[in-house]
Amino acid sequence: MTDFVVHAQDVGKVFGAGGGRVEALRGIDVSIGPGEFVSLIGPSGCGKSTLLRLIGDLLSPTEGSLTVNGKPPSQARNDRDYGMVFQKATLLDWRTVQKNVELPLEIMDVDGRAVRAGEMLDLVQLGDFAGHYPWQLSGGMQQRVAIARALAFRPSLLLMDEPFGALDEMTRELMQQEVLRIWAETGTTVVFVTHSIPEAVFLSTRVVVMSARPGRIVDVIETGLSHPRNEDTRESQAYYDKITEVREVLRHEDKP
Amino acid sequence: MTESHSSAEATEPPSRTGTWRRVVSVGVVILVLASVWELYKVMGKALELTGPVRPDNVTMPHTWDMVAELFQPVRRGGDLLVLDLLGRSFWTLREAFVGFSIGALVGFGLGVLFARSSLAERAFMPYVVASQTVPILAIAPMVVVWGGRLDVPQWMSVAIISAYLTFFPVAINTLRGLRSPDPTAMELMRSYASKPNEVLWKLQVPSALPYIFTALKISATASVIGALIGELPAGFQTGLGRALLTFSQQFAVQSTKLYATVIVTAIVGILFVGIITLIEHRVLPATRHTEGELARAPEFAT
Repeated sequence: MTDFVVHAQDVGKVFGAGGGRVEALRGIDVSIGPGEFVSLIGPSGCGKSTLLRLIGDLLSPTEGSLTVNGKPPSQARNDRDYGMVFQKATLLDWRTVQKNVELPLEIMDVDGRAVRAGEMLDLVQLGDFAGHYPWQLSGGMQQRVAIARALAFRPSLLLMDEPFGALDEMTRELMQQEVLRIWAETGTTVVFVTHSIPEAVFLSTRVVVMSARPGRIVDVIETGLSHPRNEDTRESQAYYDKITEVREVLRHEDKP
Repeated sequence: MTESHSSAEATEPPSRTGTWRRVVSVGVVILVLASVWELYKVMGKALELTGPVRPDNVTMPHTWDMVAELFQPVRRGGDLLVLDLLGRSFWTLREAFVGFSIGALVGFGLGVLFARSSLAERAFMPYVVASQTVPILAIAPMVVVWGGRLDVPQWMSVAIISAYLTFFPVAINTLRGLRSPDPTAMELMRSYASKPNEVLWKLQVPSALPYIFTALKISATASVIGALIGELPAGFQTGLGRALLTFSQQFAVQSTKLYATVIVTAIVGILFVGIITLIEHRVLPATRHTEGELARAPEFAT
């Protein structure tokens, strides 16, 4: 059991009560091992972001058991096991790029903050922009700073909630490549929420396909694509086949 | 990627020509206002107007007579009015500044308390709002009397009255500002397992600064008004408020003294707001100022 980074058994989440009761998730069983890259995909309302927030202890499950690194999520959060990246970069305007990356290190009282933040900025290839302010950067660069910030304290689990959803297609593909490179370099386990099928297939070792009303897992698909993945991967037959496989599961489930 | 440096210029202080342009534009506005005043007098006389304001030299003295009055002695053998008013301005500014400081601290404290505890907000906010519906003119004499019983110096009582007007905008805006961070920023802080104090000082207070500075500018003028009103029930003769009262009683005889004092009082208020604005410009980068156009970064590719 403790071998799993994320272990969910029959997890459910209900918001509200009475007439306003909404069942967001039902009967979620999923196990994610160390070093995996797992995407959660599904139509809006399928609870993929809710599941990510349950794992990250931003919400609590109303049913079932959920452990992260063998601990309850609240314990994992207090142990600073999570790095989080949201759709919005949420950088602090009044801090430079460098100081934004140092923010979690300040809170966690880590020594050698400047050096560590510098390494992280090099990792996301923004070493030259340490002294800039967030509003001086493009959307893609801001999101890279957010990734550097999330990785700065070396969390064992990186949770990403549609991190490239607001980026244009070109930037998005570049960022996907970056994330795979960082994943390979750091060995961090990643849970990645997206509504783009090609993105999920390109990035993941496994794709968790979800369905709405109530949110549940309908299939888990191993992508089986070889690493490293690059532009050739995007043009390979295996990649297209996997995209088709995921799409068919989604389409099948979309019908009432 | 060099374009990024051009946008960095937006944070540099305004150039000398910018400052001159501002001085000239302020001068032009004053000139226009004075012209409108004088034009009304000329037109009013020609049309023999009796209302809304009589254009005679007592009700509406010439603008240059108001200014000239500043350089006449207050009374035979006394100081020039301008010197007398200068001394009074310092007196009143001290009351206002002390009151402003107390009010700002109390307001900030209340804002933090309310942001922390919605129970405290529900319990006390109605009274905070109600406090501002009680006329300051009714409260001022009470504060002076109570202060006198407790041996508080009278100028300090006036400062308390000034604080009473100051704390409210600061409390309301601090609360709003502390609640302004994006929910995802709050989630981010939560994911770091940050303590409430860290969230407050590293995220909420910096986010609230533009709101707080807006409130401080409102409060700066309010604190001067509070000091002026507070001086009326107080016994001393040294403030601008007392001068306004005395000269308004002499209005029918010599209205220019009152007008000259009003002008000086306005300058005191403007000065105070100006100081707050200067501090704001030092503390906040240009993108976060509460007035003027925002410096926007041009978009460029990753």
